[in-house]
Amino acid sequence: MNLHNYASTPSFYEQNRKLSSMSSKDFFINRYQELGWKYKDVTPRQAIRINTMNVEKTAALLQRLRSIGIALERISFLDNGYWVCESKFSVGATSEYLLGLYSIQEAAAQIPVTLFTELEHKTVLDACAAPGGKTVQLADSMHNTGAIIALDIRKQRLTALANQLERCRVKNTVVYFSDARQVSRLKAGFDRILLDMPCSGNFAGDRNWFKRRTIKDVERNAALQREILAETVKVLKDSGEIVYSTCSLEPEENELNIDWAVKNLNLQVEEINCHGQKALTNVFCKHLDSSIQECRRVWPGQTQGFFVCKLKRREAA
Amino acid sequence: MEPIDDFARRFGTSISLDETFIVKKQDRYFLLNRDLKQIAANDFLYAGTYLGKAKGGKFFPSFNLLSMIAQKRANKITIARKAEWLFICGRDVFKQGITKVTGSTKKDDHVLVLNSYGECLGFGKILCNLDKKRRGLAVENIMDIGDFLRREK
Repeated sequence: MNLHNYASTPSFYEQNRKLSSMSSKDFFINRYQELGWKYKDVTPRQAIRINTMNVEKTAALLQRLRSIGIALERISFLDNGYWVCESKFSVGATSEYLLGLYSIQEAAAQIPVTLFTELEHKTVLDACAAPGGKTVQLADSMHNTGAIIALDIRKQRLTALANQLERCRVKNTVVYFSDARQVSRLKAGFDRILLDMPCSGNFAGDRNWFKRRTIKDVERNAALQREILAETVKVLKDSGEIVYSTCSLEPEENELNIDWAVKNLNLQVEEINCHGQKALTNVFCKHLDSSIQECRRVWPGQTQGFFVCKLKRREAA
Repeated sequence: MEPIDDFARRFGTSISLDETFIVKKQDRYFLLNRDLKQIAANDFLYAGTYLGKAKGGKFFPSFNLLSMIAQKRANKITIARKAEWLFICGRDVFKQGITKVTGSTKKDDHVLVLNSYGECLGFGKILCNLDKKRRGLAVENIMDIGDFLRREK
């Protein structure tokens, strides 16, 4: 199993060599164009998610927020997500927020947790959990039942995670300062695994993204993601589900990694029904497994850029 | 658990938590559920419901614990929306901002501070007899949920 140079096929070298004389911004914009998307500068809309475990009636909370000058609009592709249309002050400084009645969570980032089936009473791994937006969403979807094991290796962000859990009154989570690449040391099996991977991110909402990122970063992150995938598959129960997501637009961290997982980790891509386009199966002249189209790619617009898919162990033929 | 019981008594109430599910990790207390109790290893950073921290002879409660105590018959005041905003900014409570008092009104007693929806915003200490006072500072802010914002700085 080649964990480190999967994306480095001859065509990739050729493509990267051709583009290496360009500025970083032109380089990435050209790649997006080759992938079928024309670059445009965007500012994603602010979104919140209602923590239903702490709210008796959503309509009453919406009315309450309206009464203090926060106008919201339902996000069509999410159950508990709302766009912030108008607010007289920061939505992160209301008592409703501080009481954990809602979380500020980017709209596309709310998708992955919704893809799991039957979360209540399950044992769930949140492998790269900090700062905890999706951990709280998992606990909310589980109605605080079962158990979530949340891991991260960034200690400062783990403090933010602990604060989120306390603020949102999460009761079913254990947090460890631990590397997802060593998860089998926990000697536990998981029904559901959320792999919201550390990634290169995307330019939407980060003005300096093009200045900070190079293709080397992308390749390094892609290799790290494959290591995490390979390790976490070991602790997935036979009937378990993995949801893999990144906020990267780069195919090395998305379609190519899932293609690799399908071919090397005995995983299959599950059909999902959520916001986003079908993922790419032809990436820079490399033909991927046809099942990769069941993954979803979200190009930046109202939301940030995003990629998500659901994986299960391959069923015996 | 002594520090937790002692703390609840300050509000004229008691709280009964199943001690077999309380885990003390260094100076911090966590309440686990049955699933977590089975699965949690010793080296966790956070688990279940955080209850608070005992340090230097003092107990620093979590907001979860305050909310649990607030569900009991305890010393409480309810405050108006404007006073609520000032309170979560760390300010003391004026008598004019208090809309309801439950339990003790005596100087130096501790009270939970609730908003008009009955949600616990923190706690404080009564500065003067609430029965007699008409205007001016009434409850000193000891801890409020604005702490979540202040922690991030």
